[in-house]
Amino acid sequence: MIQSDRLTRPGQPEPARKTGEDGGPNAPKLERPVAPNPLKDRLKKVDPDQAKKYRQRSGQ
Amino acid sequence: MNPILCGIETEYGLWIEGRGPGEQIEDATEVVRSYPNPCYVGWDYRFESPRADMRGFSVEHLAVDPEDLKYDACKQLPPAHILRADRVLPDGSRFYNDHGHPEIATRECFSVDEAAQCDLDGEQVVLAAVQAYAARTGLNVKAYKNNTDFHGASYGTHESYLVPRSLEFAELFHAVTPMLVARQILTGAGKVGREHGSPCDFQLSQRADFFSEAANVETLFRRPVFNTRDEPHAEPEAWRRLHVISGDANRMQSCTRRKMFLIRLAIQLALIGEAPKWRLADPVRAFESVSKDAKFDFRVELDGNWTTAYEIIESYLSAAERFDLVSSEERPLLDKSRHLLSLLKSDYDTFSRHVDWAAKRNLVEMYREEEGLSWGDASLQAVDLAYADIDPAESLYQALVDSDQVEAASFSPPQFLSRGVVRAAAVSNWSSYLRQVSWRALTFEIDGQLKPVELRPDIAYPATLWEARNVNEFISLLEGVLSP
Repeated sequence: MIQSDRLTRPGQPEPARKTGEDGGPNAPKLERPVAPNPLKDRLKKVDPDQAKKYRQRSGQ
Repeated sequence: MNPILCGIETEYGLWIEGRGPGEQIEDATEVVRSYPNPCYVGWDYRFESPRADMRGFSVEHLAVDPEDLKYDACKQLPPAHILRADRVLPDGSRFYNDHGHPEIATRECFSVDEAAQCDLDGEQVVLAAVQAYAARTGLNVKAYKNNTDFHGASYGTHESYLVPRSLEFAELFHAVTPMLVARQILTGAGKVGREHGSPCDFQLSQRADFFSEAANVETLFRRPVFNTRDEPHAEPEAWRRLHVISGDANRMQSCTRRKMFLIRLAIQLALIGEAPKWRLADPVRAFESVSKDAKFDFRVELDGNWTTAYEIIESYLSAAERFDLVSSEERPLLDKSRHLLSLLKSDYDTFSRHVDWAAKRNLVEMYREEEGLSWGDASLQAVDLAYADIDPAESLYQALVDSDQVEAASFSPPQFLSRGVVRAAAVSNWSSYLRQVSWRALTFEIDGQLKPVELRPDIAYPATLWEARNVNEFISLLEGVLSP
């Protein structure tokens, strides 16, 4: 079977692409997952007023 | 075997939502009584003498913080036995309330490794008691392994070293005091801000703000750099106990180990008359200036001269090598101390993996930058407190361990078993026969007769004591060791 249409029809011009700094393609823009940082997470849980509330008797 | 028996006592800070210092003695008592795991109740107070001074006299009474007296001004305090909770733990340590603070006094150890491990195990004991108390009362409770409330109250972490009485006070004082001042650069727990003295953003020591004299017997008020309490917990004609009150509560096990190693080194050198001869112009001022030196010069004024904390520590390390005082167990501790002195000058990031104050300082700095805060912001002290929180689910120190930013704890089992391990065996296996327990003696009741056994502090006990099949065999084995 001959598919003449396919062979003869001129193709659509490609849309102009933005290029990266090195002329190559850009990476797709995706939301990067934030790496878990247990230390920062723990810091955010600190009650900033805890030291104000903390009163002790003297010890030895 | 290093014959200088050592141990460590840590008073924990106690915060209970809705409660305050006025109720803290009762609360600390109840927390200790809440401890849910096996232990022995029956401490023997006969041999305690906190008012005796190693300079040869006793004081009428110990000074009390006037602020604390205000809390009790309008109260009728119950008798002492009501306000006292005392537990002997299966590892031979003691868990009790020292006034308003739950306190762990580890068993006596021949090895600083072992003492540091017992101190670490003590955190789990206090945590179990606090959690049981919280579950019973429904209150929010926190326990902190630190030494300050940031409002002018301090509570201690004390070290004990048993030394022959033949070592005179003056020799001990001059040998140990320079190290007490200098060692904080390798062992301090770190503190945001200050409560007394000259201003600073951050300092090395939790305790430096609270010393006012070079030497005295006090521990609650007018505290000294060198404490002269003479309470040996052993035959007083033969022994004295150096009671060090100027150290911090460390979270890093390696810091606990190092601070004890350095003091034992000073004592060993004093015993052979070869301690470095530093004469500090003013130990109190030197302690504070080293603690607050943000430039890390750590200069120390001598009588007519100056030196540095670096040079003081190195002089003890070198002398110990020169006089062949370093055992195979202690060699890594000496090498590490020397390496840290070098890192503190050249590689602060690596240094901060191994020393509490530097790890805490990094953490506070990270928080300060993230939140855009000035050093005067009170929330930085909350970060300091969270470092000291002993609950692993909340502790910032634990978060540093989990993220591999500080070294983890390690442990090797003791080679020589002290009388503390004998106490552990008695409490673990023969508690139904025990009638009283103290640091220096066990009292059993056998067939209606009291049987006291005095435990010598200076010998290594055999592991076979743990294999005794009955209490008579245990006592017989023990007496065989004590009177060969």
